[in-house]
Amino acid sequence: MRTDRADPTPDLEKTSKRAVASPSFAQSQTLLHIRGARRRFATPEGGEVVALDSIDLDVHANEFLTLLGPSGCGKTTLLRAIAGFEALDAGSIALDGQPLADVPPYRRPFNTVFQSYALFPHLCVADNVGYGLDVAGVPRQERNDRVGEALALVGLAGLERRRPRQLSGGQQQRVALARALVNRPRLLLLDEPLSALDRHLRQAMQMELKSLQHRVGITFLVVTHDQEEALVMSDRIAVMQGGRVQQVGAPGEIYDRPVNRFVAGFIGNSNLLSARVTERSGDRVTLASDGGLVLHACHHDLTPGDRVDVLLRPEQLRIDDGTAPSGVALEGTLETSVFVGADRHLRIATAGGDRLTALARHVAGERESRLVVGERVRVTYLPEGVHVMRSAAP
Amino acid sequence: MSPRSSRRWALAGLLTPATLLLAGCFLVPLGIMATYSVLSPGLYGGVEWEFYPYNYGRVLGAPLGDAEEFDPVYAGILLRSLRLAAVTVVVCLCLCYPAAFWVSRLPGARKNLVLFLVTLPFFANLIIRVYAWMLVLRPTGVLTRAFDAVGLGAHAPDLMFTEGAVVIGLAYVLLPFMFLPLYASIEKLDPALLQASSDLGASPLQGFLRVTLPLTAPGILGGSVLVFIPAFGNFVVPALMGGAKVMLVGNTIEQQFLAARNWPFGAALAMLVLGIILIAMLAYAWRFGRVDGAVRP
Repeated sequence: MRTDRADPTPDLEKTSKRAVASPSFAQSQTLLHIRGARRRFATPEGGEVVALDSIDLDVHANEFLTLLGPSGCGKTTLLRAIAGFEALDAGSIALDGQPLADVPPYRRPFNTVFQSYALFPHLCVADNVGYGLDVAGVPRQERNDRVGEALALVGLAGLERRRPRQLSGGQQQRVALARALVNRPRLLLLDEPLSALDRHLRQAMQMELKSLQHRVGITFLVVTHDQEEALVMSDRIAVMQGGRVQQVGAPGEIYDRPVNRFVAGFIGNSNLLSARVTERSGDRVTLASDGGLVLHACHHDLTPGDRVDVLLRPEQLRIDDGTAPSGVALEGTLETSVFVGADRHLRIATAGGDRLTALARHVAGERESRLVVGERVRVTYLPEGVHVMRSAAP
Repeated sequence: MSPRSSRRWALAGLLTPATLLLAGCFLVPLGIMATYSVLSPGLYGGVEWEFYPYNYGRVLGAPLGDAEEFDPVYAGILLRSLRLAAVTVVVCLCLCYPAAFWVSRLPGARKNLVLFLVTLPFFANLIIRVYAWMLVLRPTGVLTRAFDAVGLGAHAPDLMFTEGAVVIGLAYVLLPFMFLPLYASIEKLDPALLQASSDLGASPLQGFLRVTLPLTAPGILGGSVLVFIPAFGNFVVPALMGGAKVMLVGNTIEQQFLAARNWPFGAALAMLVLGIILIAMLAYAWRFGRVDGAVRP
């Protein structure tokens, strides 16, 4: 991180001010400040890839923060830069206000759970977990006690003498977790921690990681491309794309109020329509979609003529039973009806070519279950359930 | 014929040539050597067919009668050969370890090029390569002139016909045998493990000692065995670069067979060399065969 040193003072000042401003609110105590982080890679073809394009991000003490994004969005590069394996071209990462530029990975009070786990194949489970304590010169008795505690914490007591390759994938991951946690790091970095596990184990581990984070009181920073995983586990999610942080917020906030089309489409299932504002009265706006639908929404900061993206979550759409006022109903033809267990996904094509997906509970005898493909249907929604985002410049 | 028995016949057919070759060209000559080593030397070469174990007594000093006297010179030659072979192993290891690391981190195409370059010397005749070193090391050679050129002529080392020259020659000739097994084990080393080590607070030195070294130990030992064995028995290099001053066991055996015409004694020396190498090999197989077997799933 050559340029990291350039100007550390502004960050330092910000930190101290913030700490003074809200000393009692633990969640807002900032552990890690990332400012203007940039990183480019040369490709073998002679080109250049911008992995990090000016990242600003604060990691709070004691939170479970997820970096979420598609592959190639820079999330892993950011994680590696925090761990110290990747130098920044510009910008800074500071821990408690101290820049980390010249601190090698082995002096940073962070530990990583690697995607491949990177367990030492020549060491048994106990020696893998005790590695950090051994190189730090922790006395034998304390070392053994802490290794035992860490293994008990992840539910692996009794497997101390096994070699990593004698363990299942799930067990290997627990060893990797114990090996990192035993050092009591200020920050635990997890790189796609659940990607190598099968679906059932993954869901169980999501809950377990979250409860583990509560029990040990260590800040977790998780990289994942799985939006469901991020929604389930995180206190906050940072959605990344193209080397930038698109939005940071609590899972509900990201889900209900995405800032742009990308975030809206990446998280959850979504109906995304391009539209134009046609009318506004008070906080009600009327929108005309490019496919000819007329929608009503709540927004108080738009003027007629503005281009917007409209997000209508499938669960906000209801199949109309004929009682809804015509103003908030959309008409179309049922194109497909897909049964996915508890729910039914109904895809409706409108006259103008827009496609909407509605989510219906699969309840015996309900009308939605009896709809026939090709049938004319009306769907209704509440204007409060329509999320409007200003379009990026055309 | 059942498919199983026909497959067995095919296997037997395929293995026969190798079996015949090994038996005819290796086991039979070895048997002849072993037999000759306990026969009495003929007056003008060849052997007399009578049991005569005293050839070994000359080297080992065992009181096997007074027909042949114990001569510590031979034990000395064996020890010197062992010592120079060991030094050669250490020199090769020190040269190859960092180089193998560097090569393993090169991109694919360049990696293959370097590996090809490592084996390139095999394309030239051994004698020619050793003579090239003699041209460098001899008193009027390239090395001396290089020292002269920078004004250090008086300090030019006279390496020719010293143990140093023999080690240089052996290390040069045997370097690829160290490099390739080392490279194979270093290539397999997952860089993520070193990152994990660093992540867990280990300094680069600690990481090397606790992760890199144990995980590349099979390559280190394999390369060491492959260099040690030919270095121990080599006679071309010590003959050309050590001269009469640095007699090694290889030259001594050659001398016994040709100049001294004492075939049984030469055979006894050769059997001793074989025994020492066999012990080294067994120790290696015992140590690593077992560890490998235990870890493999």
